[in-house]
Amino acid sequence: MIRRPIAPRSNWQQMARDYGFHFHTMHGEPYWDETAYYQFTLKQIEQDLETPTEEIHQMCLHVVDLVAKDEQWLTKFAIPQDYWQSILDSWQAREPSLYSRLDFVYDGKHAAKLLENNADTPTSLYESGFWQWLWLDNNVVNGQLPKQADQFNSLQEKLVNQFKVIANYYQLQHMHFACCKDTEEDRGTVQYLQDCAKEAGIDDYFVFIEDIGIDAQNRFTDLQDQVMSHSFKLYPWEFMQREEFGQFAIAQTPSGTSTDSNCRAHYQPKWIEPIWKSLLSNKALLPMLWKLFPKHPNLLASYFEDDFARQSTVDSASASDFRGKTWVKKPIFSREGANIDVFSIDDNDDKANQSGHKSKHVADASRLSSDGPYGEEGFIFQQFHALPKFGDSYTLIGSWLVNEQAAGISIREDSSQITQDMSRYLPHVIIG
Amino acid sequence: MDTNRDNGLIEHERAENDLVALKTSPAQKRTSYINLSKMRKSFALKPLAIGVTGVLLSACSSDKQDATVYTNLQDCVDQNPSAETQCKLAFEEAQKEAERTAPKYNSQYDCEYEFGANQCRNVQSGSGSFFMPFMAGYMVSSLLSPRPYYQPMFTSYSRNSSYRNNWIGADGTSYGDTRKRNLKVRESAFDKKPAVTRTIQRGGFGSSVRAKSAWGSKSSSKGWGG
Repeated sequence: MIRRPIAPRSNWQQMARDYGFHFHTMHGEPYWDETAYYQFTLKQIEQDLETPTEEIHQMCLHVVDLVAKDEQWLTKFAIPQDYWQSILDSWQAREPSLYSRLDFVYDGKHAAKLLENNADTPTSLYESGFWQWLWLDNNVVNGQLPKQADQFNSLQEKLVNQFKVIANYYQLQHMHFACCKDTEEDRGTVQYLQDCAKEAGIDDYFVFIEDIGIDAQNRFTDLQDQVMSHSFKLYPWEFMQREEFGQFAIAQTPSGTSTDSNCRAHYQPKWIEPIWKSLLSNKALLPMLWKLFPKHPNLLASYFEDDFARQSTVDSASASDFRGKTWVKKPIFSREGANIDVFSIDDNDDKANQSGHKSKHVADASRLSSDGPYGEEGFIFQQFHALPKFGDSYTLIGSWLVNEQAAGISIREDSSQITQDMSRYLPHVIIG
Repeated sequence: MDTNRDNGLIEHERAENDLVALKTSPAQKRTSYINLSKMRKSFALKPLAIGVTGVLLSACSSDKQDATVYTNLQDCVDQNPSAETQCKLAFEEAQKEAERTAPKYNSQYDCEYEFGANQCRNVQSGSGSFFMPFMAGYMVSSLLSPRPYYQPMFTSYSRNSSYRNNWIGADGTSYGDTRKRNLKVRESAFDKKPAVTRTIQRGGFGSSVRAKSAWGSKSSSKGWGG
């Protein structure tokens, strides 16, 4: 794993316009950065990233199977009770998933460590599946990169195939696609998925999340008053489950008293991602994985708040697992690195000081934190694992899954240890 | 079919910035082929108006339909000697449709920027004076059936255009390289569309985003994915 400088393609911005890549620059800062790329060996890709990605996904499905059937765990995962049955039904029906992105700390030498699973609404998909593919293709054609240069990136091919699987599973001919207003990045991601669905023979319709309506039978509608039967939503389940229309997003139980219950039973909105994936996009997944697969080489030690408080006390038998180590406190629900807090427990510190403290920037260089609007549903603790530094940047690997197959990687660089929404995206190659 | 006739639509040299999708072997770890023309998104300059193309073909058949692009009336007659009447009718109707639906620009410069030098004409209409590209061909399906389907086609010779040397429908749909004349086109039949109903309430989703955006302006224009 090496970071190499390369000349940007002279016409890349024109190409970005032609292909509709409108968010390569955000807030006046470059997001897509092709002044350098990362080079991996095939062995690094296959052994250190591809295989662990698929293995961790299987471990995650284990967690889903356990949590979906257990009220105690569903509570720990902060899932509102109204949605418990739907999650179990969706899981037992094995409603098809489209994609996920696992974020790893990986330096090319040591085992990749899982930071989190973006299983519900992952972005940076277009830049990964198409745009970095085009970058490689162009640079091989123009002689900047050797002919044998490859890339770990079968995303587009696999997405199209998975859309065919989904179309077949639901016997659908058309789908709706939705994301929030005022974000070019999300709209671009959803447009890309629409293109993939079209390629799979599915007719696509778009509606903004905020514009979704309901009709008299509580069926979702788009702005043309068309019924939304199967919808891709780039909108987190944990938001939907706490909003007014959330109750209509899950299977309706015919009330018996209603005279038109037969009519209603016909309409069951189907979602991509399915609701069972809300157990994986949840940070409670991390302590759950550590409970089920302790000391797995690709996992970082992680704990629920109460376990952490109890086990890290000075007189606890397991105190040495906690003391003198650095920990990351993450909200159960958070996005783009918001509300993260990094701290160390000194050997003589009392843990009580830790669990109660506020997220604030602290002058102490050993502590990092990020502000944000998340945290009201509780936190988890994960052992801190430093991102590798290449030049002036910290590097994070996103490893993609389409359904349960590893499908490629994306690389983001940030000037801080906490990768946030201002990080840059760099392409990669496989050589050797 | 004589594709070398000097009608402006002969084989073009690939532009140097044209992209070649490399063939990859099965052992490779990346998507083996991407149809780049399908990934293109937009007119270089936004036209004042673009056409809304009619529903394609009948509502009954479910597969993709064969269609052929003819560059002019004679091209159609040459290939369908027994169907001169149908060729003529489809050509005339496509021309009318072109007038109605072609992308329209305020200035000759804007139009030529997208379509190339001398590829645009001035049109006076009730709503003013516009520039629009010449019809470069017309796509016909089921020519010999009682109700043939036709659609005007345009193309671009401009280096500024992502549609260079591609067949373009009036709405900006790319139908691929102009060297290809026989196409498979997808119909959008009525029976595939979602049911239409009456909406009684909107806005029941999105409150979390409003709440969290209010927290800080820094991340509000960024997405809600992760």
